[in-house]
Amino acid sequence: MKVIFISILFSLVALASDATIEVIKQSQRMPSLAVEDSTDSYDKSLNKKFFKAIVSDLKVLSIFNVSNTYVKNDFDDDVDVINMKKDIVIKYSLEDNDGSTNVNLKIIRGKKAIFQKRYKINRTSLYIFVAHSMAYDINKVFGSNDVAWMKRKVVISRLVGRGESEIVLTDYTLTYQHVVVRGGLNVFPKFLNNKQNEIVYTNLSGLRPTLFKLDTLSGKSQKLLTSDGLLICSDISDDGKEALLSMAPNGQSDIYKYNFYTKKLKRITKYKGIDVNAQFMDGNTIAFVSNRLGYPNVFQKNLDNNEVDQMVYYGKSNSACSAHNEYLVYKARESKNAFSANTFNLHLISTKSDFVRRLTASGVNDFPRFSKDGRAVLFIKNYKNQSAIGVIRLEYNKNYLFPLNIGKIQSMDW
Amino acid sequence: MNKTLLLASTLVAILILSGCGAAEPTIDDTAGDDKKTEVPTDVQTESVGSDDIVVGEETGASSDNAKTNDTSMSALENKMNPIYFDYDKFKIKTSQEDSLYSNVKMVNGDAKNFMIKIEGNCDEWGSDEYNYALGLKRANAVKSALITQNVKAGRITMVSYGESSPVCNDKTQKCWSKNRRVDFKLLP
Repeated sequence: MKVIFISILFSLVALASDATIEVIKQSQRMPSLAVEDSTDSYDKSLNKKFFKAIVSDLKVLSIFNVSNTYVKNDFDDDVDVINMKKDIVIKYSLEDNDGSTNVNLKIIRGKKAIFQKRYKINRTSLYIFVAHSMAYDINKVFGSNDVAWMKRKVVISRLVGRGESEIVLTDYTLTYQHVVVRGGLNVFPKFLNNKQNEIVYTNLSGLRPTLFKLDTLSGKSQKLLTSDGLLICSDISDDGKEALLSMAPNGQSDIYKYNFYTKKLKRITKYKGIDVNAQFMDGNTIAFVSNRLGYPNVFQKNLDNNEVDQMVYYGKSNSACSAHNEYLVYKARESKNAFSANTFNLHLISTKSDFVRRLTASGVNDFPRFSKDGRAVLFIKNYKNQSAIGVIRLEYNKNYLFPLNIGKIQSMDW
Repeated sequence: MNKTLLLASTLVAILILSGCGAAEPTIDDTAGDDKKTEVPTDVQTESVGSDDIVVGEETGASSDNAKTNDTSMSALENKMNPIYFDYDKFKIKTSQEDSLYSNVKMVNGDAKNFMIKIEGNCDEWGSDEYNYALGLKRANAVKSALITQNVKAGRITMVSYGESSPVCNDKTQKCWSKNRRVDFKLLP
């Protein structure tokens, strides 16, 4: 009996730490939350934009039942009568401060202010980052799992015409947009470091694909590598020292490891078919996409030996993946008809269990990318003529979409 | 996806669509005490970019000689046929052999003094690296065919544009089949 009990307990503990099956069960009634705008006199259009931004961020937190009703109320007054029955009220005010903008935040629970903070931005175009910072702090006050990913920048390649794309710095909602590379075909941008002030990307407008490094603050650009046929930076190590590249100097795409400091390039795979999309995993292991079974699928390889193991056993055309420690999210075609409407979905697996969790339900879901902490997945969704960024809250099993108003998203990183 | 989630996703997506700015972001972000607002003293600065950063296109394909030969080169280039492929395939189909040999004749004839750039392309089903590698396999199949027809390997460069250079944007199978192709470009 004791053995059975211990076995069950062990199973529960093991399963509870597995993100492929663990979803935080929410009570039927989440705390109700309303937002009140306490701005006295400021740019009214920004005021409304800010309200919408903070409301949507609070929804993405997935821990509140957020009201959409716009209410104006003084910062120091009691909550508005319309919000008297809400569990939590968020008050904010925008104010000019000698050319910069201050944003004041107050969290009220049960008629009592439990948290206050002031944020300062030097340009109003950055308001969305304040909304993200506020949502991050509100989430922290209520003790929910960290959402630091919300404050990170996102870099995308945006196709704007045939053979023409731009590299754009943005946020996870695509609200802030700043073009940093323009002209020609520029694809597969990656942040080089955790500060997110340098990127690498591939330029395809010259004689051969060329990998560039760009300092986004100074604008200084440096040519790193050139290769015939194909040259893509697939992943960068957490310390920013090494990159996994897809390269094809002889017309054959293989995985290479590149050291940014020593400039040394090491070939990792030698296969006559397609090897691409390598991702650092835990230890000395990489995951990558290969057609060595006759169709695209995900494999893993230890960097110290030549052994290659199949990682994914579900899906017909598993042509993209992202890895975080033992977890892998991959894209799979689920219908027999390659061109049917419900074509590509994202799935989550762990090397430590056999579960497969489907993360999306419809459409063409592409280019998954884990957040740095592995708690969220960003992906590209293309539906009809609309291109969007999606964010998956793995812990809450919820997806949110943010459409791009101009162009099509080719690739992204965060 | 259940209806509630779908509705929530749609609402958030609609809410989020708002204006864009091009500026250097800087957030000063400081925490205060529970009930008092404090003026920030320890300022954190988060920078994304600046207004004047625009990296221009760098190409290795243009030179004075190229300009001189531009007219004849473009005229010849326009006579070259695209080579079309089946979905997820990179084998040259029998139906494309005539187009290929017509190109070979030109490459070994009127265009014999030019470099050849072979551009692999794919349909829109995937923006991932695999699609780019598939485009390259198509380009490489054409390169191999050229070499067997006595075109020197040193004259040929390859690039894959994946799905990024479509000639047709309709959502039809006929349109997608036009995008699964290899184009020939001439370089001085």
